[in-house]
Order: sequence, then C-alpha cells, then structure tokens
Amino acid sequence: MWQWLYKLGSPRHFYEMTTSFLPWLKGVTYFLLIVGLVWGLGFAPPDYQMGDNYRIIYIHVPTALGAMWIYVMMAVMAAMHMIWNIKVADMVAKSSALVGAGFCAVALFTGAVWGRPTWGVYWIWDAKLTSFLILFFVYIGVIALRSAFDSETSGSKAASVLTLVGVVNLPIIYYAAVWWNTLHQPPSELSLSSQGANPPEIWIPAFFTGFGLIGLVFVFVIMRTRNEILWRERRAQWVQDLVKQEAGRA
Amino acid sequence: MPKFQFDGLADFFAMGGYAFYVWLAYAFFFVVMGWNLIQPRLERRRILKLLQARQAREERNATVPTQEEREHA
Repeated sequence: MWQWLYKLGSPRHFYEMTTSFLPWLKGVTYFLLIVGLVWGLGFAPPDYQMGDNYRIIYIHVPTALGAMWIYVMMAVMAAMHMIWNIKVADMVAKSSALVGAGFCAVALFTGAVWGRPTWGVYWIWDAKLTSFLILFFVYIGVIALRSAFDSETSGSKAASVLTLVGVVNLPIIYYAAVWWNTLHQPPSELSLSSQGANPPEIWIPAFFTGFGLIGLVFVFVIMRTRNEILWRERRAQWVQDLVKQEAGRA
Repeated sequence: MPKFQFDGLADFFAMGGYAFYVWLAYAFFFVVMGWNLIQPRLERRRILKLLQARQAREERNATVPTQEEREHA
C-alpha cells in the first residue's frame, strides 16, 4: 500500500499508471453520469412543491459538494508539497484549482437559475451563497497567484500558502445554512420510504450523478496532471522516448 | 422500474413550464464539463507537437558539422 502511494509520487509512475487506469475510469464515470442524468431528468417523479424545476438538483448539489471536496484535495496536496516537497502533489494541486473553479461556477450558476423561479431572485446575499462566492474567488485567486510568478517554484509555494489559508472558508460554507437561517435551506434528510419528503425515487439518481461527478473530477485532474508531467519532465529520457513514439503514430 | 414522467418528447422539453431554467442550468453544466474534457486534450497535442519539433531540431543540429569539423575537412 505504502509502496504504491510512494510510487504515485514519482511523475513517471503517475503517468504510466494513469495511462492504463484512465480508460476504465472514463467508462465507469460516463456510465454513472448517463444513468443519473437520464433518470433524474426523465424518470424521477416531480417534486410536490417545485414541480419539474427541482430537477436542477441533480447537477447543483453534486457540483457544489464537489467544489468543496476538490478544495480539500487541493489543500491536502498543497500541504504534502510544502512538507515533503512532492512534485506530483503540486501538479495535482495546480490541476485541481482549475477543475474546482469550474465546479464552483456551475454550482453558482445552476443555483441562480434555480433560485429565480423558487425564491423569486437570481441572487441574494444569503450566508451560504456569499461564502460560496468567496470560495469561487479563492479558487480564482489561487490560479492567478500561481501564474503571476515567473519562477515555477515561487508560484507553487505562494499558491500552496493561499490554498491552506482558504480552508477556513469550508466549514463556514457547509454550516452556513444551519448557523444563519437566511434563505438557502440546510441539507435535506433522505427518507427511506416513498411517502417521505425526500423519497428514494428522488435521491437515488442523485447518487448516480454524484458518484459520476466524483469520477469526472478524477478524469479532469488526471488529464491535466499528465500534461503538467509531460511539460515539467520534458528533458527526461522517458518523455523523450514517449514523444518519439507519439510522433511515429501520428 | 421507474416510469417516464412525461407524455412524449414535447412535454419532456417543456419541463412542466420550467423549460428555460432547467435547460439553461443543464446547458451551462455541459459547456463547462465539455470544456474541461476538450481543453486538456488540445493542451496535450500542443505539448507533444512542441516537443517533437524540439527533438527534430536537435537531431538536425547533431548532423550539421561543427566549426571545428569543417575546418579540418
């Protein structure tokens, strides 16, 4: 187990392992997403209050939760990079920032479009919405800060520090709707019976899109990290050989 | 087995009157996810092309005789 983790820390091993792993991950991910989206959009029963409008939930909740745990992953990678100076950890952190910002944007946008017909407004300075908007800005800040440095090492050091500082925001977002009862509802409890407010007919497809999106996060982060590895290790012999091989194929 | 909740495709696209909101949300979702899928592919192609060009240049340079070799010839 440790040996396996240790090997993932080497850029070359990370690249080679993901070469065989990625197609499988993509297959499972696309399957989960297609099942979840078709089920959620067409086959789940309408909500008794919001009608068909609630179907936005199948992308809103998973991308919002996703944006938060991508941040956790990015922070863990930033810490690993700072403590043990693991290069792959820094590359994963850099890739996560872009993916996380995208998820944040989707969560905010779908929330706004859902809020208009349900609350009557696209946006309101509610605690949860505001702290989530700050998360988006933190992501943008981390990306901008890294690219502001000419030196790769200074850029990643600065981005790591900002990433770790931004962790403070996460519990605020998660508990915002519980601490301050403004507008956004706290997470719904799942009911096991079909008579409950949140029956399995509605939440089961959400689990499909949820796990599908977790898979998609890994697909996106791995694809970006592989590019980053090729670029940073471009002088290594194994990359040179790979480039030659790819040229022969094209 | 869950059953289809709409009467035909037109009813499905109408989304019970919420078509604008539901489809706008899903469209944005697909645009962002699609971009995340395509952008790294283009980036990979760009990197490989750049490194291939660099390799070809180095190989060419290796076959060109150096100043010293030319003087001795």
